[in-house]
Amino acid sequence: MSARRERLLRAWRRFWRPPRRLRTTPAGRTYLVLTVGVGLGALNTGNNLLYLVLGLQLSLVVVSGILSELCVRRVQIRRLLPGSPRARTPFHLAWGLRLPRGQAFALSVREVHPLLGSAVGQLAWLPSGEEVVVRAVATAHRRGPMQLHAVRVSTRFPFGLFEKSRDLELPGELLVLPGRMPARAEPPSPTSGLGLEQRSLRGPDGGGDLAQLRELRDGEDARRIHWRKSAQLGTLLRVERDAQPQPRIVLQLDDRAPAEALDVTCEELAARAELLLARGAEVGLESAGGVSVKPGTGAFHTQAILRALARAGHPGKAG
Amino acid sequence: MRSERLRLLLRDLTAGAAFGAMAISGQVPLWTMAVFLVALLLALAGRRPLSDGKLSAILLLLAVVLVYGAVLLEELGLVVAACITASLLTAQRLVSRPTGRTTDQVQLVSLLMIAGGAVLSADLLFALCLFVYAVLAVLAQGLSVVAEVPGGPLPPTGRVLRPLAVGVVLSLVGALTLFVLFPRLSWNVAARRAGASLGGATTGFADGLRLGGTGLLKSNPRVVFRARIDPDPGTEELDAYWVGRRFDVFDGVQWSSAGTRGGPSRQVLLGPTGPNLVRQEIDLLPAYGSRTLVALDTPVRFGDAESHQTTFSIRTEIYPSGDREVRLVGASEHVTYRAFSAVERGRLPSVSPAERARRLQLPQGLDPRIPALAEVLAEGAVGDRAIARQIERALQSRYAYTLELPGRVKDPLADFLFDRRAGHCEDFATALAVLLRTRQIPARVVVGFHGGERAAGEYLVRAGDAHAWVEAAVDDYVLRLDATPPQHRSAAGIGIAGWLLARWEALQIRWLDRVVEYSLSDQNRMVQRVRWKMGENPASPTSRRPDEGVAVALAVLAAAFLLAVLVGRRAASNDPAELGRRLSRLLRRGGRLGPKGWLDGARVDEVKLGPVREGIARYREARFGRRPLLPGEGRRLVRQARRALRGLVSPSAPGPRRPTFRA
Repeated sequence: MSARRERLLRAWRRFWRPPRRLRTTPAGRTYLVLTVGVGLGALNTGNNLLYLVLGLQLSLVVVSGILSELCVRRVQIRRLLPGSPRARTPFHLAWGLRLPRGQAFALSVREVHPLLGSAVGQLAWLPSGEEVVVRAVATAHRRGPMQLHAVRVSTRFPFGLFEKSRDLELPGELLVLPGRMPARAEPPSPTSGLGLEQRSLRGPDGGGDLAQLRELRDGEDARRIHWRKSAQLGTLLRVERDAQPQPRIVLQLDDRAPAEALDVTCEELAARAELLLARGAEVGLESAGGVSVKPGTGAFHTQAILRALARAGHPGKAG
Repeated sequence: MRSERLRLLLRDLTAGAAFGAMAISGQVPLWTMAVFLVALLLALAGRRPLSDGKLSAILLLLAVVLVYGAVLLEELGLVVAACITASLLTAQRLVSRPTGRTTDQVQLVSLLMIAGGAVLSADLLFALCLFVYAVLAVLAQGLSVVAEVPGGPLPPTGRVLRPLAVGVVLSLVGALTLFVLFPRLSWNVAARRAGASLGGATTGFADGLRLGGTGLLKSNPRVVFRARIDPDPGTEELDAYWVGRRFDVFDGVQWSSAGTRGGPSRQVLLGPTGPNLVRQEIDLLPAYGSRTLVALDTPVRFGDAESHQTTFSIRTEIYPSGDREVRLVGASEHVTYRAFSAVERGRLPSVSPAERARRLQLPQGLDPRIPALAEVLAEGAVGDRAIARQIERALQSRYAYTLELPGRVKDPLADFLFDRRAGHCEDFATALAVLLRTRQIPARVVVGFHGGERAAGEYLVRAGDAHAWVEAAVDDYVLRLDATPPQHRSAAGIGIAGWLLARWEALQIRWLDRVVEYSLSDQNRMVQRVRWKMGENPASPTSRRPDEGVAVALAVLAAAFLLAVLVGRRAASNDPAELGRRLSRLLRRGGRLGPKGWLDGARVDEVKLGPVREGIARYREARFGRRPLLPGEGRRLVRQARRALRGLVSPSAPGPRRPTFRA
């Protein structure tokens, strides 16, 4: 299909997309039943005053549509995703709402997503010109990337009879990290299927105490030069330190396992990685599916490993 | 806290207005009114003693059972019972702990009460209650919806009220527009006629005219009928007599009529018709309350009477009765008819000796001072006409007008002429008629109305315009004589309250005319007027024939319907459940669904059925995984699955049937 035709198709689909969704609230349903009842009564009896009441009721429905449209029409929104949400742990979804002019009342915000749709942020009043952040508590039951397409802004204003919703297209991705679980004290055995670990000790050029100074040889790392002593003696001296006891561990992940089992594995590896990193070890990650995180330490590295574990088994962007 | 109080106050007043719409009909029992008012007052005072409401709910249920029991025993009408139920339910909710749910319930039940009021009452007060209800309901519900949202600070009340005020205006305009445009196509199987409004009928025409008592009618400003007169007199205040009944037999206390009743017909002729007749289209309003028709003096023809019901109008018959009186066959609260009157008073039609004797009859035991007084008053006058005029002037000048009478007395005429020397129109007319009869001039008392106040090209006549005067036969001519002082012939001074009531009545008439009696024929007239106006300026580019307009409107409606259907389908195409349903349907047709009719285990292993497998996988992902369907993806998947399944033979279907032959 040519790009032009694709564009045209997209435009055509966008044209036919319902601009608003309308849901009747329980009170609204009763109201509609009453309206139908009054309408039938008016037709039945020809009583003009019933026609007048019916006119008022129908007119209120129309007015409800107009006023609610004024509330949701100009709302601008930006998504404020949480940094590192974990599976099965409640986290905050947040949206920044702004209205260039006018004001909106009784707003509720949610993601248009089957798993996050139940997390609803509510706002009584959105004044014009200032951004108001709305939060909702959500829980993801599984790790992995969630593709977000749109945010739904709804209002029950003015009468609470209908809930009018507007979907604002806002592509994004929420990466849910593996859920927390207690890490095992001992590394799993190579046959456990939970992941293999490679352990290595560092050489004499480690990060321990100062052992000796010697002349720098060709090809050696200039960052090891002890500049003060080199300046005193007039020759380049390099530092040699004792080897450190911290291990360098590369976690092995079998990401060809079935989804449920892979989730458990990832959570266990994540727990292990966090434990090891907390103890000062350098931790890396490798998998058969091509995931590779070089060993390292620190908070950013922890995040890198967790993100890689979150994406394991999911096609698309690698960690 | 302040806004919470305001919100509840508005809610409670909304319920009050809705209840008022029912209560003005006067058909709601007093005990219901008392219960509701107590609950409303408690709510307005902030006292809401019912917390869980279990006991009150039981009591309420009991009351409802009793009310509907009364319906079964035919003690109450069903509509009234429904109104009572709604009132009690609202009262219970008003004094319950306020929550969002309670507020919704109060609003919805108030709407029921408004509908009940519409059925029970046709009074202008209903319009007032409806207006107040609409305004308060919009404001209360709007504030309530905002207050119930838990997130963020609440806005200042003024900020919320602003859009709600716009909503109020739009609602009222919309209600009126829909009211005017909604086609009045009624099944008319349960029409219920509303009452004559508060106060009931007031005209008070009776079969006899009894002297004595007070003249309260004179101070009543309610409009009882209106008339369009052709040719139009054009004056603001009409100085004319509207004839209702004539009485010729007087027994000393009461006047009565000795005529006979004629047969019913569409038209009644009372005298010779000719040119120069004054045509009147008269509209007897619910406040009129009598079957006697009135017309300008001297009526010669009545006809074209129509009785107006809620949804239709029917022609009704009339009949002559008594002495040149015309009555309706059957009672009706709203009647229109035409009458023709001769302006010039004609020669007296030939009267029988018996009739002449009745018009000269004097009551037995007539006070002898009365003939003597007649002689004194007629002194110096020559001829019957002069005598009659002289006595008329004498009564006008020597006797005072008053509405404060002592009540029943033994001889009210002597009491008026010799003791109090003051009375109202009936006393003056009786005195004049009797005095004339003592002078052998035939005379009778006529009862009707005097005056008329111009409004919108018509003349409104009030209950206070009721009047009595005399017709005398002088020189073979009918002479109208009115002994009541001229300033007291029409409605008495009614003060500011009366003035307000009069304005209210004028509004009430418009309300009845434009709203309560609005009908399909009015809509037709409106359409014709629009067509006529369009036809007047055919060159205008904006003018369009109504038929074309209807066609355009239908086309727009059809397009809107099509759009709604397409949009609905579009919305469904992103729903994973809808995708599952459609795939299931396709597979069921092909006999490929799994056990128990599920998608799991569907027989789609053939290579060609890859798109079906893809659809099922995407359905699972979208519904149970974390990959929602993209816009339009569901439809695409269904289309692909349909193509793939087309032409494939169902695995469970029998093979092609071979032709069989029978020997």
